[in-house]
Amino acid sequence: MNNSLDRLIEGMVETLRREILPNLEGEFVRGQAYGVIYALKSLQLRASWSPAFLLAQIGALRELAEATAELPAEAPHVLLPDELPHDAGQLEKLRDTGDAAVSALIGWLAAHEHPAGDAAVRAYIHRQLKHELKTSAKPMFAEISLGKEQEA
Amino acid sequence: MSSAGQAIEPIDLYDEPGLVLRLNAYLTEKLGRPVEIGALKRFAVGFSWITYGFSIPAPGIEGVTGLILRLGPALGLFAPYSAAPQYLSLKALEGHDVPAPRAYYWSDDAAILGAPFFISELVRGEAPIPWGPGSEMSDEFRHSLGAQFTDALGALHNIDWQRSGLAELAANVSVANAGLLQIEEWERNYHRWALKAYPMFDFALRWLRAHQPVAPRVSIVHGDYRLGNFLEVDGKITAILDWELVHLGDPHEDLAWFCLPQYRGGTKLMGKLIARDEFYARYEAKTGFAVSEESMRFYEIFNLVKLAATHMAGVYAFERKGFYDMRMPAMGTQIAPVLRQIEKALEANA
Repeated sequence: MNNSLDRLIEGMVETLRREILPNLEGEFVRGQAYGVIYALKSLQLRASWSPAFLLAQIGALRELAEATAELPAEAPHVLLPDELPHDAGQLEKLRDTGDAAVSALIGWLAAHEHPAGDAAVRAYIHRQLKHELKTSAKPMFAEISLGKEQEA
Repeated sequence: MSSAGQAIEPIDLYDEPGLVLRLNAYLTEKLGRPVEIGALKRFAVGFSWITYGFSIPAPGIEGVTGLILRLGPALGLFAPYSAAPQYLSLKALEGHDVPAPRAYYWSDDAAILGAPFFISELVRGEAPIPWGPGSEMSDEFRHSLGAQFTDALGALHNIDWQRSGLAELAANVSVANAGLLQIEEWERNYHRWALKAYPMFDFALRWLRAHQPVAPRVSIVHGDYRLGNFLEVDGKITAILDWELVHLGDPHEDLAWFCLPQYRGGTKLMGKLIARDEFYARYEAKTGFAVSEESMRFYEIFNLVKLAATHMAGVYAFERKGFYDMRMPAMGTQIAPVLRQIEKALEANA
């Protein structure tokens, strides 16, 4: 998921209220829908993205930082603190700052031939994408398009 | 804000009775006679423009009484919108072998109906889709549609757009810079929509800048030419739809988009309709230029970049524009798979 957890929960609650509840009939079923809204709002107060997911991404950034440490000083470098924060929001910011540095490094490498730097960046990208795919749910686009449960 | 500094009251694009009144006033002025349209029927298509069908009493507009109104909302996926490219493109198609709705009126003045809009002919037909059960087609049906769709694409790319209103939007596009202009356009979109940096995206942009092909010609490019974006009746294509990404550029862009694995519906056929060799041969016979494999490789990567950016637009619309449509974050989950697809395609090109 690329949206913030907070906004995702808000969106789910709005969808239930505006699109689903008006089309539900029966007190019990409607009560269940409100139960889901209540559970979502409770989650919103306490839940955050998994630190394990973010720590794996930051681990990949640290490997890239080490692999590119010898690049000239004027090249953009990935900088990470020795001690990582525990808060998931701060970890996410660290990951995003790291990815912005990688993108800047890609721009620098376009103008400065450095095969080892290029290889390190490509290895990092590969690792991040594999991690992202491994931690993603099976897509449900047929269900979303057609409004019907599909065979597994 | 108005010139007097007063806030303009936004017009609710879903207030159908209010829209009917505004349309009546607009069409009355345009046609020079009192017009009272029928009820609006909203079509649940796409993520972007709002589409309504309506009818007007005979003699209609140029004899046509079934009409479509498309509105580009300020919060839409690719907003801010202009209706000009779609309108001018549809006008440029008239008289050519590209089945498309006739376009009648347009304006980007939001004071008229609440958003940029255009009014076109309502064309009847079904839209076959590339995915899901019930989307299977007989070989004969599929082959016929594939041939027609290929011919229509060739006809589109053959149009001498410089003789049409589209020339106003040319912006100095040439065979040499057609690729670069599109790279720059989608790089701007990336910086507008991405909530974080995506190194694979930047890496792909770098590759694209280093491998720009020279276009065989500058053509009208549909921008989303695939199964799902045309109507057919009894196996005959009646209209190519969804022109919102239309622009002037390298025709290979449409060819490569049609060939993306995403639109093959799990088959080996391009666009789930036609074998690659037959598609190229038929298209080449229609246009008179050879499809370049080098350009196809470039535009495959470019189109995947465009697709990834479109998914980022979904994330952005949900996160920052207050959309609550759960299809948007679902689109966002496809950023990583598309970026991985780009990585594999770049490896194949190394």
